[in-house]
Amino acid sequence: MFRFILRRLVAGAVLLFVITTVAYTLLYAGGGDIARRLLGQNATQEQVERRAADLGLDRPLWEQYADWLAGAASGDLGRSWFTGQLVATGVTSRLAVTLSLVLGATLIAAVLAVVLGVLAAVRGGWVDRFVQFFSVLGFAIPGFLIALGLVLVFAINLGLFRATGYVPLSSSVTGWLASVTLPVIALSISAIAAVAQQVRGSVLDALRRDYVRTLRSRGLSFRRVVYKHVLRNAGGPALSVLAVQFIGLLGGAVIVEQVFAIPGLGQLAVSATTAGDIPVVMGVVLASAIIVVAVNLAIDLLQAFLNPKVRLS
Amino acid sequence: MLGKRSTVSLAVAGLLVAAGCGGDTEASEGGGGTLTLGAIVAPATFDPSGSEWGNRAPYYQAVFDTLLLAGSSGEIEPFLATDWSYNDDGTELTLTLREDVEFTDGSALTAEVVKQNLERFQTGDSPDAGYLAGVEEIEAVAEHTVEIRMAAPDPAFLNYLTRDAGLVASAESFDSPDIDTHPIGSGPYLLDPGATVTGTSYVYTRNPDYWNPDVQHYDELIIRVFEEPTAALNALRAGEANGVKLVNNDNLAEVEAAGWTIEANELDFHGLLLLDREGTMNEALGDVRVRQALNYAFDREAMLTALQDGNGNITTQVFPPASEAFDPELDSAYPYDPERARELLDEAGYADGLTLSMPTSAVLGSTTFTLVEQQLTDIGVTVEYTDPGSDYIAELLAPNFPLAYMALEQNPDWQLAQFMIAPSAVFNPFGAEDPAIDSFLERIQFGDEQEQAVAARELNAYLVEQAWFAPLYRVQGSYAVDPDTTVEMLPTNAYPSIYDIRPNS
Repeated sequence: MFRFILRRLVAGAVLLFVITTVAYTLLYAGGGDIARRLLGQNATQEQVERRAADLGLDRPLWEQYADWLAGAASGDLGRSWFTGQLVATGVTSRLAVTLSLVLGATLIAAVLAVVLGVLAAVRGGWVDRFVQFFSVLGFAIPGFLIALGLVLVFAINLGLFRATGYVPLSSSVTGWLASVTLPVIALSISAIAAVAQQVRGSVLDALRRDYVRTLRSRGLSFRRVVYKHVLRNAGGPALSVLAVQFIGLLGGAVIVEQVFAIPGLGQLAVSATTAGDIPVVMGVVLASAIIVVAVNLAIDLLQAFLNPKVRLS
Repeated sequence: MLGKRSTVSLAVAGLLVAAGCGGDTEASEGGGGTLTLGAIVAPATFDPSGSEWGNRAPYYQAVFDTLLLAGSSGEIEPFLATDWSYNDDGTELTLTLREDVEFTDGSALTAEVVKQNLERFQTGDSPDAGYLAGVEEIEAVAEHTVEIRMAAPDPAFLNYLTRDAGLVASAESFDSPDIDTHPIGSGPYLLDPGATVTGTSYVYTRNPDYWNPDVQHYDELIIRVFEEPTAALNALRAGEANGVKLVNNDNLAEVEAAGWTIEANELDFHGLLLLDREGTMNEALGDVRVRQALNYAFDREAMLTALQDGNGNITTQVFPPASEAFDPELDSAYPYDPERARELLDEAGYADGLTLSMPTSAVLGSTTFTLVEQQLTDIGVTVEYTDPGSDYIAELLAPNFPLAYMALEQNPDWQLAQFMIAPSAVFNPFGAEDPAIDSFLERIQFGDEQEQAVAARELNAYLVEQAWFAPLYRVQGSYAVDPDTTVEMLPTNAYPSIYDIRPNS
């Protein structure tokens, strides 16, 4: 088990290196005249050139990247070129916001999807068709449309939730709930649809297995078989889908945060990318990559725990 | 499983409870308490020496005072400086400062502090550092008297002191490592760095010791950045702000339907900058007949209707109505006349057509470029577009294109001349020069007030006749306020002054 974890950690580190290298190169490919963008249209050409030199933009790409990498390895991600804020501070404060949205959405997706998926598989009939219908619908409607619809109805017309902005949990619990509820719902819908389908499929599949018939023939109640055995077997694939969804939700958060003007990682990524604020973009890339690697590792460990066969292979 | 099911119902119940009490949390109460403003951009730094104006002005105005004040009638009014005077040849400006001003760290406003602020701005990172380029020496001649000596007269100088160049911070904050995020000024509000989320929302509290309580209309000020126009519109419709700067005029009807009022000014003109006036890159543009032909090519009314929903005024001059140089006749110097345009091209020797390379960018609206191309094609001009993406301005100023579509701010006369007409102007990237223009500029710079006004008018007429630009229209800048709030717009800035935003009583 220890070697298994070690192997995954090394692979994760290599992945981080590859991702940041690619990101840095791509940013420069689309970078162009960053100093001009920093200074705006009033600045003179001399000012622009001086700023470029100050930022070290006149040095070769590999040298700038090596500098960044050395800094990152020692925990120094530099400062934003546009706001002067420490990148590490900006990213961590916004990470908390995004994680509260994404974790909330994942949690809701997990609970609702299991309930809906199991109901659909076990009950069949109209319940199944209902779940199927809404899964397709949840998949088909883009997240931002759902977000806009929710805002229109629940924030603007009914005035129940906030249409924009984020209230930290530490300053007001109800305020926090009012600010995160709609974004979390908007985020979770496609995930619910995806995971419910997966759960339904796995449960149906498990129900057809021989062991279910055997257990039933021994006189165990259907309920007990489903909850004790079928779910455990169907849990593995569902967990994988949930992990994929979690990572997908990080991407979905970009749009939702823009629509709701929430200061999360996604919003930071968008504004930093459009501005060409390379230190900030790299900070966001690194944070997201670490999350992805960590989630995958956690899922692998959970799978191994649930199913010993994984550990052997 | 029963356990799980009850968790679900608990969660649902929790959401409903949240829903019940969600609406009234932190709702902004216009009229005395909290003023919540929506802005388009965040400031890069709170260090005045790196500051900018335009849409970033409110962030700075809240914490700092400027030496002079831009009034809503376009006049320059006293602020930190109560009095100012020039010597006879206009190269030495004497400012008399208020004696009762204290910064929020307890230090006092003195001539020495002002001197240090001006010197820092001159050598600092601000994109507008050039405002003080002509300043040779600043001297604190008395406790509250500053003398600024310049190499040559600068008729726009007083105006610069109403903007970023005139911001004054506590001299004791200059050495602070936190100066980018913890501003110390003498302004009506104090920034609360703990409640502020950099890049997203900026929270200010009332400065209890402010010297000028007349302009302090609220106890708390929150400025929120809406990068996404949809978010701005949603915040507005949900009543989560009191005043919002609108990015464009696309949703004015919806804003008014929500019970908000739209206040407008005209700051930018949209149109073609015919940069290569000397024909160094494209010979054709060196011919005044070609430049005039380009001016006759556009159906400006139709463009204004199509691109701005009619919100603005068509024009063929670059100077704004508030300017001495402005002549209402020049708004229609080149009526839509494609026939005349083709004749002029014919006379200039381009009867067989002409190809022009131009940059294009989604930022200025893709429809814009389609319409421009279509109207130019109608007079026999072929357009070759290149998309430099977010480097649009950099490419235009490189200069890599003989002409470009652009929206530019219409400043007061001399400032505008230094910005887009003088040989050294940023938006004259080919450095085009004309002896006639030089002499107009000289008369504006060295003449008395009356002479300045006459010369500015003549300069404007000459520029229109020489077709240095092909302006299309002045676009309406829109600022929306909720029913609890009133605002007086500034003619010279994109964002209204925070002193001019008041509770509606």
